[in-house]
Amino acid sequence: MKLHSVLRWAVFAVAAFVMNFPILATLVTALKPPGEVTRNPSLWIESPTLENFAIVLTVSDRLNIYAYLFNSLTAALIGAILPILLCFPVAWALARRGTGRAVLFPLVVNLRALPLIIFAIPLYIMYATLGLLDTRVGLGLILAVVNLPLAFLLIVNAIQAIPLELEEAARMDGARLPRILRRVVLPLCRPAFLTTFIFGFITAWNEFLFGLMLTTQKAVPVTVGASFFFATSGGGVQWGVAAAVMIVAALPPLVLGVVMYRRIGGSMLGGAVKG
Amino acid sequence: MGTVELDGVGKSFGEVEVLRDIRLDIAEGEFCVLVGPSGCGKSTLLRLIAGLEEVSAGRIRIAGRDVTALESYDRGLSMVFQSYALYPHMSVRENIAFALETARLPRAEVARKVAEAARMLRLEPLLDRRPSDLSGGQRQRVAIGRSIVREPAAFLFDEPLSNLDASLRAETRIELAALHRKLGTTMIYVTHDQVEAMTLADRIVVLNAGRIEQVGPPADLYERPATEFVATFLGAPSMNLVRGAAAEAEGAETLGIRPEHLRADPSGPWTGTVAHVEYLGVDTIGYVDVGEIGRLALRLPGRAPMVPGETLTLGYDPGTLHRFRAGLRIG
Amino acid sequence: MPRHTRRETAVLAAPLVLFLLAILGFPVILSVVYGLSETTFQTLRSPSFTGLDNFSRVIADDRFWQAAWFSLRFGVITAVLQCALGLFLAVYLAPLIARHGWTVAVLIMPMVVAPAMMGLMYRLSLHEFAGPIPHYMWQWFGWSPAFLNARNVFATVVVAETLQWTPFAFLLLLAAYQTLPRDVAEAARVDGTRPWRLFWKIELPLLMPTLWIALFIRFIDGFRVFDNIYTLVGSGPGGITTSMSIYIYEAFLRQGDIGRALAAAILLFGAAFTLLSLAQRLGRRRRAA
Ligand SMILES: Nc1ncnc2c1ncn2[C@@H]1O[C@H](COP(=O)(O)OP(=O)(O)OP(=O)(O)O)[C@@H](O)[C@H]1O
Ligand SMILES: [Mg+2]
Repeated sequence: MKLHSVLRWAVFAVAAFVMNFPILATLVTALKPPGEVTRNPSLWIESPTLENFAIVLTVSDRLNIYAYLFNSLTAALIGAILPILLCFPVAWALARRGTGRAVLFPLVVNLRALPLIIFAIPLYIMYATLGLLDTRVGLGLILAVVNLPLAFLLIVNAIQAIPLELEEAARMDGARLPRILRRVVLPLCRPAFLTTFIFGFITAWNEFLFGLMLTTQKAVPVTVGASFFFATSGGGVQWGVAAAVMIVAALPPLVLGVVMYRRIGGSMLGGAVKG
Repeated sequence: MGTVELDGVGKSFGEVEVLRDIRLDIAEGEFCVLVGPSGCGKSTLLRLIAGLEEVSAGRIRIAGRDVTALESYDRGLSMVFQSYALYPHMSVRENIAFALETARLPRAEVARKVAEAARMLRLEPLLDRRPSDLSGGQRQRVAIGRSIVREPAAFLFDEPLSNLDASLRAETRIELAALHRKLGTTMIYVTHDQVEAMTLADRIVVLNAGRIEQVGPPADLYERPATEFVATFLGAPSMNLVRGAAAEAEGAETLGIRPEHLRADPSGPWTGTVAHVEYLGVDTIGYVDVGEIGRLALRLPGRAPMVPGETLTLGYDPGTLHRFRAGLRIG
Repeated sequence: MPRHTRRETAVLAAPLVLFLLAILGFPVILSVVYGLSETTFQTLRSPSFTGLDNFSRVIADDRFWQAAWFSLRFGVITAVLQCALGLFLAVYLAPLIARHGWTVAVLIMPMVVAPAMMGLMYRLSLHEFAGPIPHYMWQWFGWSPAFLNARNVFATVVVAETLQWTPFAFLLLLAAYQTLPRDVAEAARVDGTRPWRLFWKIELPLLMPTLWIALFIRFIDGFRVFDNIYTLVGSGPGGITTSMSIYIYEAFLRQGDIGRALAAAILLFGAAFTLLSLAQRLGRRRRAA
């Protein structure tokens, strides 16, 4: 019994270390002064410093991290909230009246399985025509498409879990559909909305391909911005600064994920099993 | 104004006909109880009246107005569900006020009515709690409170007491009767429980397999059941049915006799062996195996000296017999 | 359904349906038009119709088939590795997790980091001068492989993808494992079943549905891989890490061959769609059985 417990901790430690190694290595690199990185690539930091973060967080002509972060935030908020707004009414119709069971639901859920690149090119052409290229709204809209499948699934599941009698009671209380939806169904879906939002936000923030293809300057999200940083420095990458950029870029979803990990596990199962 | 008239109402779910040609006039202020075996269509009938299901045939009139095509929110009824269906995200106060706010009553009026209902149902200390923090009996009272504030044309109840324990059920039953006396509003009440049916009802409607078997005041149904089904459905233990020669001798196909009308009588016609005895305090139930006739239940007051294995001869007063032919009462 | 109910339903469905029509319906039409035309970025608004020419060019392109083969292999191998590792971690660590829930948060960190960032982080970790991994290899073994050369790069991207997404399989299987009916395991244990046998004979069969789902999702995501490979090695030395997504991306943005890129995308869509229908039919049969 005791031995097993020790072994389990050991397995956990190894798994956590190996899987998180790149994050750890990046964090360590970000905390090293510029000279130290290539001289001492080990995980031991000789003279820890926040210098790299100071450089990253200062606006310069090479790098304005705030612009990237703002682009990511705006696009991710659109990409996380819009699916909830779009899916809620139709999810109710699906759960209670079977609307869209044959076509709409499978169609949306299957979007999850399609390679995103398929949408990227026609969208590029469409955005070019509509003037949505390199805009935060344009990026947010397509991120909303990416998040639709899971949002639809989670919200349908949540509505199905509400006892039908509650809605019937509201009807007996004289409420028509809009009021039932607003006062009874919507408040009871709040936990599902929160989960959907968290998933959606993380996914949207982390999205790269659309950012790469549909933005060039004004609306570049931080995932793409960080990769620019690697490429543009050519031979002499400033490893410490690059690492600090990545840490900053990875931090919001990381924090959200770590704080909300309980929510993520359970609903992933719900989302996957029905889909 | 609170009359409910059902005129040839029928309901089918797909191929399955659940209710057929239900005709029933419920008077203003009447307490009408629907009883019947599980699956006979009681809840369905109530939901048709409520407008939660659409009728497949017939018309429904409430307060003289044809509401067949109206949605439930336009029928002016209120309903207490078996599960209570309280809104879990609202406080007791908000639960009770919901219908009034839906009707856009002025705020002061809402507050006044909620306070009045809370006082009547002793809910005042609970007004700011959530349903999840209430006991079963308290939830039940909130559900009733939520339905009375609307001052509906009629109340609908679907087995409202079935989730309560025995003593609370008895208590709430009495409160319900008092509430009905006070409000004088029409009530339509579905139950499985015979005691509720007998004690609460002005009239009982016995449903069986989607049809009405008999309608009448509790005493009528108990004393003069129109069919064998009603005869055996009401009363516990249920009425003894005797067929064959013994029944023919009394001029019936089936003879019915209630357990309390049998007595130990050495000169009686039926002799058998006591198979089982149940002492219930107020009375004693004996089960006696009588040869051809089968097993008869008899009820004797107090603690009757009966023991399993004993031989017993049973007699009755001919005036207490019920006679049936082809399932229907004769005479 | 009465008329007003139908109208209500239409209003409820309208936002999503209109959104989908606008943002996907229109592009579908565009895809077909441009897929059948010759277009460059200069002639974006005046495509010239060339029939199935783009498709025959794609089908004749060896690199397209190499990319397809890469994606398929990559998807299958990473999915199997992730699910095996994830299953092991979920089942073996479950008792630990039951008492120390926070351990889950540590294990799922990789999957909430953007794959593109993760690619860059591996690039840093594996860098021959700045990376800790080669550093320790040299220090301990006096030797370090060139992780990103033609021989090793496939293994490297497979490992990187696996380590990032094993948490996904782990989390899914853990959730399923935690909801397994306890009484079954308890009954078996009372009957004298050893843990190993309990796992093979009782728990694994009960986990099978979730395991299939995890395999399927991981395969899909591996098959359509782009971000982490692109930021780690691009299309790799000699283009050997060109996945389907990278192939299409390069045809489009690097080579400006819009027609060919779209034709490849349409073919990919067809393949994905076929696969999906197949998987769903299989899933339905399994559930029915
Ligand atoms: N929505 C429905 N679809 C199909 N059949 C239904 C539906 N609702 C009820 N039924 C069927 O109609 C019959 C009557 O059901 P109902 O709920 O009215 O019975 P009940 O008398 O209330 O029974 P109980 O005493 O068990 O509550 C049952 O056979 C039931 O299976
Ligand atoms: Mg019922």
